[in-house]
Order: sequence, then structure tokens, then C-alpha cells
Amino acid sequence: MEKPILRIRNLKTYFFTRRGTVRAVDGVDFDLLKGECLCLVGESGCGKTVTALSILGLIDSPPGRVVDGEIYYDNVNLLKCSPEQMRRLRGKEIAMVFQDAQSALNPVFTIGDQIAEQVKLHLGVGGGEARQRAVDLLGEVGIPSPEKEVDYYPHQLSGGMKQRAMIAMSLSCDPQVLIADEPTTAVDVTIKAQILDVFQRLRETRQMSLLFITHELGVVSEIGDRMVVMYAGRLAEAAAVTELLGDPKHPYTAGLIKCVPDITKTRDRLESIPGTVPSLIDPPRGCLFHPRCDQAMAICSQEKPPLTMVGKGHTVFCHLYNGIKGNGEQ
Amino acid sequence: MTNRLNRVKSVARKVGGIRRLILILMAVSLGTTALLDFFVVEKIFGPLVYLYIALSTIVGLYVIYPLYAGRRLTKYYWVRVKRNRLAVWGLGFILFLILLALIGPFFTADPTAVSFEEKNIPPLGFTIEESVYEPETEQFIAKTITATGEHPLGTDNKGRDLLAMIVSGAGVSLQVGLLATGIALTIGTLIGVMSAYLGGKMDNILMRLTDVMMAFPFFLLLVFIVFIFGPNLAFIVLVIGLTGWTGAARLIRSQTLSLRTREFVMASKALGASDSRIILAHLVPNVISLIIVMATLSIPGVILAEAALSFIGLGDPNVTSWGMVLRAGQQSLDTTWWVAVVPGVMLFLTVLAFNFVGDGLRDAFDPRSAL
Repeated sequence: MEKPILRIRNLKTYFFTRRGTVRAVDGVDFDLLKGECLCLVGESGCGKTVTALSILGLIDSPPGRVVDGEIYYDNVNLLKCSPEQMRRLRGKEIAMVFQDAQSALNPVFTIGDQIAEQVKLHLGVGGGEARQRAVDLLGEVGIPSPEKEVDYYPHQLSGGMKQRAMIAMSLSCDPQVLIADEPTTAVDVTIKAQILDVFQRLRETRQMSLLFITHELGVVSEIGDRMVVMYAGRLAEAAAVTELLGDPKHPYTAGLIKCVPDITKTRDRLESIPGTVPSLIDPPRGCLFHPRCDQAMAICSQEKPPLTMVGKGHTVFCHLYNGIKGNGEQ
Repeated sequence: MTNRLNRVKSVARKVGGIRRLILILMAVSLGTTALLDFFVVEKIFGPLVYLYIALSTIVGLYVIYPLYAGRRLTKYYWVRVKRNRLAVWGLGFILFLILLALIGPFFTADPTAVSFEEKNIPPLGFTIEESVYEPETEQFIAKTITATGEHPLGTDNKGRDLLAMIVSGAGVSLQVGLLATGIALTIGTLIGVMSAYLGGKMDNILMRLTDVMMAFPFFLLLVFIVFIFGPNLAFIVLVIGLTGWTGAARLIRSQTLSLRTREFVMASKALGASDSRIILAHLVPNVISLIIVMATLSIPGVILAEAALSFIGLGDPNVTSWGMVLRAGQQSLDTTWWVAVVPGVMLFLTVLAFNFVGDGLRDAFDPRSAL
């Protein structure tokens, strides 16, 4: 449980566009431990998906490039692997589930064919065996009659079923790490709970590590062990889920939690964080959050906030905690 | 037996699937027989035979097999095609033409057999008056020539049987149409899909190449090639095929551009698929309906191009094509009109049939068309 399977150090992924360099991910560090579920949280455009794609080496180049940092998977630096090595790794060691299963499945093949293709490709088994495995996998992700549905085309399945098929496909080669990029965003609430159940069960039965990308704090509290909050391409705060949701240190995290609507209260206005995410081409100096922060100080617009330990495994990047519990670089 | 089957399977897996194994085996065996054919033994098969085998393998693997594997979808499309009456008639005519070309030669006379005693016989149901020079009386006398059952479509001015020539021409037209279109679309598809998928510099290079090819006056090139290498049907097919892929490449590229950004491409990459696999196993099947429609719509153009070439006298003199018969008939249109009219009507119907089928398929494949 304690050994990290994925270590990301100072990851910087930039996009070199005509209008300037977009610092989509700008110095991100975190570890994914064996068997844990780590949630990567943040609003749209804060670099969650780019982080995931960087891990898999799928950044479209040009315009994008991982300019700096290290990504270790079991002591292998993924950024130093050849394209061929990366291709072998994808799917077999690290797999990914996409947000929109509707478009992530090829419309002209049955889901069974698509799963079997993965199995044949990576495990090198024959057609009949691959098909049987597809049926087993579909059963494992909770599709009611897999023998029948294995021959369905994507358009014949409902949204939740498609998402399950997508998950089954990514599981086809027993990956050690599963990256799920907002897998519950495109499905409705009742299906969401079922999909989360599937992930929960898979973690228990397969002992695999899950990097779960989401912007919904409700989902995080449901499934996550630890969470990392990102803002505008940088880290804001990282801690165990219960600690972070109960006692957020970073004003951004606190704001995010306040934004979650409470269904027991009727209010005419929903909470929100004033302002918008800064431009990543021309970011503000110092802390990227300071223009929207209600506790901003003079130093916030001058210097990048250092990493501060505020509790066991609880780190925050904010000037409010400078030197409070030692350990800061200040 | 199962042991051997497993061994074949494991080899297939190494080269990336059964389909690719078949393709490689075909390329190797065709290559070696072609080498033997040209350098050791003198010409067992004509070059057209190689094209036939190669193309029917590709079409079988990438068109027929997917249609068979997706039977339900094929049936659905067939129901949609059937609603277009003209397309069904067109399909019927094409099937008739194929049967004519395949079985006809066994029942008809030699299309090149000349017999001056039987010249200018009209088709069944017609008689013509002809002035014939009588050497004894040294006079022209009018003579009535009636149709005979032996030559149901009549004969030309050298006494060649028109039916036999039409049957032979059907084969030539179909061969040219199918082979040249097959070559053109194979190249066009690969260039279009690769261009769109690889993007960037590669896209630029391939598309500029397409522009250059498009700007090239291909009919002149055809005339030029015939002039240099002699009128050989295989060369004509090759030139039409090797120059005719530009429109297909552009259209398929534009279709693939919208597919490329779809998440399933990223998803299969994330699950470890290689570029060639994404191109052949994911992108090409998604544009296959477009390819089939384009094939049916471009076959008539190719048939007409060959007919035009034969008509101006640059066709292969060893095969009897419709264009050639047309050319023979146009000199005596006022007397033996049938020699020009019959192949003309056949060309007209064939082109029309392919166009109808193409339109029908396009409507059937287009989910937006309200059929």
C-alpha cells in the first residue's frame, strides 16, 4: 500500500501555439501509491487531462510537449521511453478510461470486437479466447447479459452501458494503473453511483491503482483515498480526502467546497468563486490564484507560494501558511 | 490439425493479424511468380491477372469480409438500397453484364473472326437494301440483306459477329473499370487517411503531391504512355489507376479529419494501438461506405475513358472493346447504323447503371437522408 507505483516530479507540459506558450501543466508533483485511489481535482482547463495524457505520452506534438520533469512508473522514466516502448506499456501497464464513452468507442465495431482486439494485441491469444475474455470482462463491470451484449454496436447501448464497456476495454489487459478521466461526467446521477461502484469493486478485486480525474467533490468523497487539487496547471493542495474535505487549507479548495450545492437548503443564488481562471499564456506573477483570492496579501502577487506541510501528508501551496508549521522553504 | 492452425495463428499475430498475413503472403507469392513469369518462363499470365488477384484479395479482406462480419449492418443497408428502384435496376444490369462477360464467350463466335461473305448483316427484325457490284453484268444492283439467327445483333463491314464483340467488350469495360478504380481507390484511401491522421508536415507533402497529380493532364499522359509502350490494356489500366486517385484522396482526407479528433482514436492509442493499426483497423472501416460509393461513381468515368481511347484508335488492338466497335461503326452510320448504336447503347446503359447504384448506395449510407 505504501509503495508508490507512479511518481510524477516537476512535470511541465507546454503547448506552443501561435498566440504564445500555454503552460497547461507547470510543475506538478505527486505520487500514486500501489492500490490507492488518488483523485485529481480542479475546474475545467486546469490541466488535469493534460497531466493524464502526459503520463501516457499522448500529448499531440506539435503543438504540445513535455518540456521538463520526470514520470516514474516502477522506476522506469516514462519520458525517456521510446515510442515503441510506450506503445507496449499503454493498455497493458497503464490504461485510460475516457470521459465520453459515446465517442471513445469506434462506432463501426461491436464492443466485443473492440475489447477482443485489445486482448489479442497485448496478450497474444486467439480469437475464441479473446472473445471469451471480452464476455468475462463485460460481466465483471456489471453488464447484465454479457453473452448477448458482446455483439452489440455502441449505438445499441445506453450511456451507462457504454461507459461500462469502455471500462471493460481498458481493463482487458490487467493494467496496474487505471487513469479515469471524468468517467462519470457524461452519465446521469443513478448511473454515476453504479459506475463508481464498479470502480470501487475493481480496486478491491484487482488491487490496482486508480488515478481518478474529476471536478465533482461528491465523487471524490465517494471513491478517493487521497486527493490532489490543481489550479491553473499547478498544485494547490494535497491530502487524504477526509482531511482535505473537512479542513481545507488553501482558499481555493475552501472555495471549491463551498461551491457544492446543498440540496437541503433552498437559496436563490449558488456560491461561486469570483473571477475566472487566469490565462495560461500570460499568467499573473506570484500565486496564480491571488486575483480571485479573498485572503490575498502583498506577497501573493510577488512570489510563488512554497510547499508547506500543514499536517501528516497534507501539503499546501499558499503564503498563508508560511513558516507556520516549519518545513516551509521560506 | 488444430496444432497447425494454432501455428498459423501465432504467425499471424506476429505480423499483426490474419489479414496482414494474407496480404504479405499474397504479395510474396505474386512477386515471385511475376519474376519467374517475366524472366524465366515467357508470360504464363498477362499482367492483368496479377492485378486481378491482388485487387480481389484487398477487396475481399477490407470490403467483403467486413460486410460479412457485420451482417446485421449489411442487411440494414440492403433494405435501404432496395427502396431505391433505380439502384436495384442498375445493380441488376451490372450483374447481367458480369454474367455476360463471364459466360458469354463460351456461346458466341470469335469476335475477331472476319468473314466477308457475311458482312453488313442487320440485327434480327431488320432488313437493309445494299447496292452490290455484280462483276458479270458490270453493274450495281440492289440486294436485300436479311437478318439471320446466326448473328442476332448482325455483323459489321468485315462480317464480324456484333454479339460476340459486345460480349467481349463487356468484359473489357468491366475489367478496366473495376481494376483501374480498385487501384485508384486503394492509393487514394491510403494517402487520404494517412494525410489526415499523420497531419503536419506529412499532410502537407501528401496533399501537395495530390495537387500536382491533379494538375497533370492525365489524358495526354495516357496518350503518351500508349505511344511509348504500345497499346496494351494493362498499361492503360495502370495509368488510369495510378493517376485517378486524387479526388478520392482529398475526399477521404476531409472525412478522416473529422474522425481523427474523435475520442476513439485517442482511446485506442491510450490502450496501445500502433499508428498503422489505427489507420487500417479504425479509420479505414469508418470511411468504407464513402469508398464504396466513390468506387461505384468513378467506374463509369474510367469505362468512358477507355472507350474514348479506343475510339480515337489508341486502344489495345488485341482486345475488342466497345470503343473500338463504336469506332468501326461510326464510318458507316448511314447504312450499317447498328454497329455503332449497339455498343453506344451498352456504354450508355452501363454508365447509367453504375451511377444509379452509386446514388442509391450514397443515400443508403447517409444516415441523414430520409429514406
